[in-house]
Amino acid sequence: METSFAITGKGYVILAADTTSARSIVKMKSDEDKIKTLSPHLLMAYSGEPGDTIQFAEYIERNIRLYQIRNNYPLRPPAAASWIRRSLADSLRSRKPYAVNLLLGGYDTTTYTPHLYWVDYLGTMTELPFGAHGYGSYFALSLLDRYHDPEATLEEGLATLRRCIDEVSKRLVVSPGKYKVKVVDKDGIREVEL
Amino acid sequence: MSIMEYNGGSVIAMVGKDCVAIASDLRLGNQALGISSNFQKIFPVTDRIYLGLPGLATDVTTLRELFRYRVNMYTIKEERDIEPETFAHLVSSTLYERRFGPFFIEPVMAGMSKTPSGGYKPFIAATDLIGCLNFAKDFVVAGTASSKLYGVAEGLWEPDLEPEDLFETISQTMLNAVDRDAYSGWGVIVHVMTKDKVITRTLKGRMD
Amino acid sequence: MNSFADRFAITGPIAELRKAQANVEDDEFSDAAWGSEAGFGSLAKGIPTFTVPNVPDPSSFLRLHTDDHADPNCRIKIQHGTTTLAFRFQGGVIVAVDSRATAGSYVASGTVKKVIEINPYLLGTMAGGAADCQFWETYLGMHCRLHELRNRERISVSAASKYLSNLVYSYKGMGLSMGTMICGWDKTGPAVFYVDSDGTRLKGDLFSVGSGSTFAYGVLDQGYRWDLSDEEAQELGRRSIYAAGHRDAFSGNTCNLYHVKEDGWRFIGNYDLSQMHYEGPSGTGYGYDIRVEGRSSADAPPATAA
Repeated sequence: METSFAITGKGYVILAADTTSARSIVKMKSDEDKIKTLSPHLLMAYSGEPGDTIQFAEYIERNIRLYQIRNNYPLRPPAAASWIRRSLADSLRSRKPYAVNLLLGGYDTTTYTPHLYWVDYLGTMTELPFGAHGYGSYFALSLLDRYHDPEATLEEGLATLRRCIDEVSKRLVVSPGKYKVKVVDKDGIREVEL
Repeated sequence: MSIMEYNGGSVIAMVGKDCVAIASDLRLGNQALGISSNFQKIFPVTDRIYLGLPGLATDVTTLRELFRYRVNMYTIKEERDIEPETFAHLVSSTLYERRFGPFFIEPVMAGMSKTPSGGYKPFIAATDLIGCLNFAKDFVVAGTASSKLYGVAEGLWEPDLEPEDLFETISQTMLNAVDRDAYSGWGVIVHVMTKDKVITRTLKGRMD
Repeated sequence: MNSFADRFAITGPIAELRKAQANVEDDEFSDAAWGSEAGFGSLAKGIPTFTVPNVPDPSSFLRLHTDDHADPNCRIKIQHGTTTLAFRFQGGVIVAVDSRATAGSYVASGTVKKVIEINPYLLGTMAGGAADCQFWETYLGMHCRLHELRNRERISVSAASKYLSNLVYSYKGMGLSMGTMICGWDKTGPAVFYVDSDGTRLKGDLFSVGSGSTFAYGVLDQGYRWDLSDEEAQELGRRSIYAAGHRDAFSGNTCNLYHVKEDGWRFIGNYDLSQMHYEGPSGTGYGYDIRVEGRSSADAPPATAA
């Protein structure tokens, strides 16, 4: 079952998504990257219906890149989130809606603030200090209520993330084995080994 | 489960003496799981009109943006601010446009409308999800806790409440009604509007 | 006059005849149904039997009338919305439960007792059908007492939970709904057993049951160690129920906290979850917003170069 987490800290957003790609009872691939880089300071972790996820994610990635090319300036996280939400909301009442849940993490270089947006397949969007999608959220959210610190350093943030992952591995019946973890901060995007 | 109960949330508007108040809870949930305790459902449309949108969260945002566009167009064309009654009809026709595939929202409006003599009169209205208007004289409610809100409001409301008393009344109504509803709560925000200002207060409600 | 004596006499030939007749036919309202032989205390008739509706398929008939998400108008209500937890540690067993009862989205009550005091040293938690838990756990208490009288020693938690488990297993498929934890302290030390109406019986250190159990596990697993002190363990139990009451719409209101030690259980207290959010039991609130008040993720803007 697809699980993703995201937490904000002092000047950064960490996104983690599981790397399992499964069809019915078979794990087809265990090193799938479900976090897309949309712009130098914007990450998007996606989960949901198998074809829809990639199609939607690539559509978003390319249009955000197009904006950057046309205007010579990348969309700021709040604006990008609003546009992405609008795409999902429009798709909801179309012939075939995209069934994709997202976690958008970005760093706004003009206000020096990290932003995290929780977006679901209906187009519901809210900004949160930490969020999760999938069955893992039922275990991680209460844990994050208890242990999250908005002023945590990157190491502390990663330790909290490790707690979430351990908890899900311990308690979820079909828990994912590995997670891909990416960080976005003032210096851009990089992948981190947990 | 019902689409109107998917995200949860409730709104109430009440009339007082030369003032109106509108209040909502702050919960955004995913059925039983609470996601956010800071999800705004009440938006200022003009200085003198506030719109509350309880129901499916994606439509809350979509409608908020749609009404912002339509009211901006009105303001540009008419070169004046929209009046509450007119806005209520705008809401009604916008919702009826989607009669056969509606937005899952039951809007509640509160405002101060201009009288011919130049003063202001309190105004509240609500519609169902396809735009049937209800111009009440006392209070209007909508959302998952609507039946509980009706009950408490009927008990506590009286005509001609001063702004401070109206604030107390609407606050107590909201706080106690949402405590009896599993899908509403996680904080309450109240806007009290008089002819020259709006005071917004966030209440400490039960967080369970 | 004699007719009164005949009709109401307990002893005498006519009464004997009546008793004999009663034994032959349906003895639903025999003399044994009154007084101290009332209810299921009278084991002379063996395991209590229940009358079953006279329909072709009693289980489906019952399922039709049980509120199981499908039709909230059904009168038999199953308590899906709840959070209960129990864990054992060096100082005994902590049992913590919430107190909310919901019917659909309506919060029917915020003062439900979800811990059943089976006897002074055994506790059972309630999740699922409230009546099922209350009845069978009280019945279990009766059997524990009989065990004590027969064997001149306290029943072990293992035996008590096995008794309950076997009992509900005999009703498997009939529609009983129970997810309970039997907690106590016996010769082997503190013990927690999870028993449910499917027939599962599990011994363990830590369990949580109910719609909010996943949220409770999140906090409980991360804070749990065997060598917690009594205060730390109580705090952990309270915090876990708070976590579940906060996130889960169907759990909340108050937390009832019990601590089972070698000499029996002790009721620690009833804690309002909203008060726990804002003030906590000792001044610092449990709530996320309260805890991170004033803290922000924003970087300080870089110092402008002169």
